[in-house]
Amino acid sequence: MSLDFLWQGFGVALQPSNLLIGFLGCFLGTIIGALPAVGPINGIALLLPIAYTSGLPAESTLILLAGVYYGAEYGGRISSILLNVPGDAGAVMTAIDGYPLARNGDATRALAISGISSFIGGMLAVVAMTFLAPLFGLLAIKFGPAEYFVLMVFAFCTLGSMVGHEPVKTLIGCVIGLTLTTIGIDATSGAYRFTFDEPELHDGIEFIVLVIGLFSISEALILLERQMTGVLKPLEVKGKYPSWLDLKTITWPSVRATVIGFIIGVLPGTGASVASAVAYTTEKRINNKDNTFGKGDIRGLAAPEAANNAAATGAFVPMLTLGVPGSGTTAVMLGALMLYNIQPGPQLFIEQPKLVGGLIASMYVGNVLLLILNLPLVQLFARMLLMPNWILIPGIVALSILGVYSAYSSVMSVLIMFGIGIAGYLLRKLGFDMAPIVLGFVLGKVMEVNLRNALALSGGEIGIFFSSPLAIILWGLALLVVLLPWWLRRRASALAAGSP
Amino acid sequence: MTDLSPAHRKAGRIAALTIIMFASVYAVLGSQIEYSFSSDPIGPRGFPIGLGVLLAALGVWYYLDTGACEDWPDRRGAQAAALFLGLSVAMMLAMPYIGFIIAMAILLTGVARLFGASWPMAFANGIGQAVLWWLLFGPLLGSHLPKGPFGF
Repeated sequence: MSLDFLWQGFGVALQPSNLLIGFLGCFLGTIIGALPAVGPINGIALLLPIAYTSGLPAESTLILLAGVYYGAEYGGRISSILLNVPGDAGAVMTAIDGYPLARNGDATRALAISGISSFIGGMLAVVAMTFLAPLFGLLAIKFGPAEYFVLMVFAFCTLGSMVGHEPVKTLIGCVIGLTLTTIGIDATSGAYRFTFDEPELHDGIEFIVLVIGLFSISEALILLERQMTGVLKPLEVKGKYPSWLDLKTITWPSVRATVIGFIIGVLPGTGASVASAVAYTTEKRINNKDNTFGKGDIRGLAAPEAANNAAATGAFVPMLTLGVPGSGTTAVMLGALMLYNIQPGPQLFIEQPKLVGGLIASMYVGNVLLLILNLPLVQLFARMLLMPNWILIPGIVALSILGVYSAYSSVMSVLIMFGIGIAGYLLRKLGFDMAPIVLGFVLGKVMEVNLRNALALSGGEIGIFFSSPLAIILWGLALLVVLLPWWLRRRASALAAGSP
Repeated sequence: MTDLSPAHRKAGRIAALTIIMFASVYAVLGSQIEYSFSSDPIGPRGFPIGLGVLLAALGVWYYLDTGACEDWPDRRGAQAAALFLGLSVAMMLAMPYIGFIIAMAILLTGVARLFGASWPMAFANGIGQAVLWWLLFGPLLGSHLPKGPFGF
């Protein structure tokens, strides 16, 4: 494949004005990403009319918006790690190991590691996009409902990693997550399910309401309990940057997660939240030998961060090659292209090489800018934790309320968030993990819709789930994910038994 | 996590019964979902019924093997949690009438008090943070926050 478009693109992206625009986008994106619910989609929606009316050329607008987009993917981790309040959907899994690290005084190290793994994920995904975009575009259109359903089965198989010494709690958490996705108007038949004549429930429970309730409100309740028992102490921030050993430890998890994140990101309708959930569970499955995941394992922090950045980049592939957005944010960006009378599709790389090249080149430049911007700032972000609890925790509560209210302009959504927070607190006290609930919720709707669409297409014949080579490969991968760790464990214990 | 004590076992069993009850109600309501037409053989009822049955079965498993859980808060801790949640819900319900800044200032003052601030510090923190968050999300980010009788 000729890379002329990329060289032309670097010519565009490295122009001083576009470098400045890219830097501005990255900076704004980082801040936007750190604020819960004010995700990249809001940032882009706010900036698009400003960019368009100010007469910026199409490639500069796209560079600005893309900067906001992947800047937000970097920024989403900040509040996740420091406050246990995920900045966006893709940063939910980051909190699972990032927050315990921060509470143990390693906030600087956690922020730096997540920044570096974001860089690895973002950068490798841009390289993959440069060379494989047209190929992946073709792969994406081969995914029908049956293949999507099998993909979700594969994702649930990775859940096996979460099954610890109390599998029933993991499974209950997962099914609770699934039940929550059935609330609202059924997309296939239009039936009202569990809405109780309440208009606010017609759209179902929003993801951001669920995660803020489960993570930050339940956390506020737990911190309050510790305050009352006198065990809540001011946090310590060691200010230690990651060591070479840390960097070595996160390299392969980040690379693996990038592959997972990029492939999932390419598939329309899945997005960074599914990518980071699958990457986290896969990594846990591979590396949780000492039961360190969930307690501040840097591999559990690096994997979802690399995956969500890779997915954010992967989502551009179907948008540019097929005109099919891979996520809500790329849908807004598609609208931006159309505003400039540019029709994305297979011909875009040939007809608009400067634009596509400029966008892809700006991603290379943007990732470098974000790493440069983020690493020196982690000390500053981490110092936020040194604030007294009576300032910090009201801040978490305010941010949680604002995150939900500003997204849905609904008091009812805030009340649901508090209800979910109470349930999350009770479940945590009972020894339940929050991650399976989130995974069940993220995958549930896609799974049900595709299961039913596939069966509608086949007239109820379940053979459709085994009818394409892609579906068979995915079944094989699902089996592999279940059986391989079991086989490796057996082999390891056999070797241990055989050794003197 | 602590070792399994009779109190923990009891808490686990109450939770298991709650889950079984929730699952049963969910499945029954699922079987009563009204719809006129469905293009697929499962329909809008199939998934909820299946999930309800599965969750109830898992609830039974959980009842039989409750596993470990943490200690529950003492009376003082429970009162503080109730105060926090009560104040939060009251202020959220009042917010459309008294406006964002006043509701948040009262709530955040209360939360700061619960986390050990003296009254003057709690007031300063509550009012300061309410104004700061309003400025950030309102005028700066363009969110439509409720206005009270004073226009903010």
